[in-house]
Amino acid sequence: MGRDRDEIFQKIRGVLVDALGVDEDEVTPEATLMGDLGAESIDFLDIVFRLEKAFAIKVPREELFPAESLLNNPELVSNGKLTAKGLAELRERVPHTNLSGFEKNPDISKLADLFTVNAIVTYIDGRLNAG
Amino acid sequence: MKFVLIDKIVSLEKGKRLTAVKCVSLAEEYLADHFPTFPVLPGVLLLEGLVESASWLVRMTQDFACSMVLLEQARNVKYKSFVSPGSQIEYTVEAKAIDRNTSSFVGYGVAGGQEIVEARLGLRHFNLADRDPAMATVDSQVIQQMRNRYDLLSQQV
Amino acid sequence: MFDRSPVLTWAPMRWIWIDKFAEFESGHRAVAIKNVTLAEDHLHDHFPGFPIMPECLMIEAMAQTSGILVGEARGFREKVILAKISKAVFFDYVRPGDSLRIETQITTMAVEAASTSGRITRADQIIAEIDLMFSHVDRNLAGMKFPEENFVFSGTFTSLLRDVALNHKRPAEQRLESG
Repeated sequence: MGRDRDEIFQKIRGVLVDALGVDEDEVTPEATLMGDLGAESIDFLDIVFRLEKAFAIKVPREELFPAESLLNNPELVSNGKLTAKGLAELRERVPHTNLSGFEKNPDISKLADLFTVNAIVTYIDGRLNAG
Repeated sequence: MKFVLIDKIVSLEKGKRLTAVKCVSLAEEYLADHFPTFPVLPGVLLLEGLVESASWLVRMTQDFACSMVLLEQARNVKYKSFVSPGSQIEYTVEAKAIDRNTSSFVGYGVAGGQEIVEARLGLRHFNLADRDPAMATVDSQVIQQMRNRYDLLSQQV
Repeated sequence: MFDRSPVLTWAPMRWIWIDKFAEFESGHRAVAIKNVTLAEDHLHDHFPGFPIMPECLMIEAMAQTSGILVGEARGFREKVILAKISKAVFFDYVRPGDSLRIETQITTMAVEAASTSGRITRADQIIAEIDLMFSHVDRNLAGMKFPEENFVFSGTFTSLLRDVALNHKRPAEQRLESG
């Protein structure tokens, strides 16, 4: 039986409040992890650790926050934008994010904006209901 | 060690914001242990710089009404880079709220244009006499000492 | 392994904020003791007229206890440093003559980082709850230059680590050299 999406959101909100020291009302579904909530590399690790405990699943960090390894690969990034190969790679790694807007102008400085609270909810929802 | 982790208060807007600087020098004894061959200011002393900055903002905003101004909670304190001897850190704290007995802040430290530390802080402030009236003299003594220290830090001496 | 040419050879104060280990379960949890005494200079500045242990130094005591626990679990091979204080909450102040019990456990151990959760108590009273994250320096701060040797776990901690070698439940994989 699948977990209710709202229940998942509330649990994730608790995780983000603990990991990022933000207030509950700052954690909206549309909030971006890096821009709005101030998350950085060490916070991504903290978030992954807490999600693993909260949902009793293993979360390979790459699946949730693939940006770092993507950005370091010259085949995938050119002139500050993702190449076609880079986009394909991204699509494969983050099926839980909505890429339609980003694909029109795959500027890597906007990559961070993709990682919203909603994206995490979708990821966890997918993992829990995959059976 | 001398437990004063800022050197000069650079600006202060009561109820709102304070900036201060701390110079890091090999003269600071703990650097010999932190670390041998790689002296850098310990992370908790960076946090203390922010706590002291926030404390001075409380004291000045409340005209030194409370003797005790203590860290009640620190959240999401992140260390982004190291500070070595010869560097100067600028701390900024911005008040979210300053109430009679509690206050909250966001703070950060920058050295050489680089972010060093950021934190969310909550302080609590009170007088010892609040619980034990016999301690009123101690409160006055501490407050006087802190007023003197403020004069030193704001370089009004 | 320890005590490579330090920058200063004369250290009138030691940056050690715990006094001994009371319990040590390798890879899992540890308990250290910190005694607070008027013989500590810094108390006289915090505050003049009413000395109490600075909260930041309580965080450091927890960081050293937890850092040694994490480092030992990896055989002290890596430079493990404090990367983040997730939360540190204080419930009361601590005075000279108090003896603190610093208890911590590893909550996650991953390749790049580890997280710990702990509390500080005085007799039966809770003084603080402190959650920390430690980072593997070489992996996570690319582009910065560090000395080769493990400057984190140096001679400073030798006497404490002797307690660890004697008390822990797993045979030591590496002999700890005396400073």
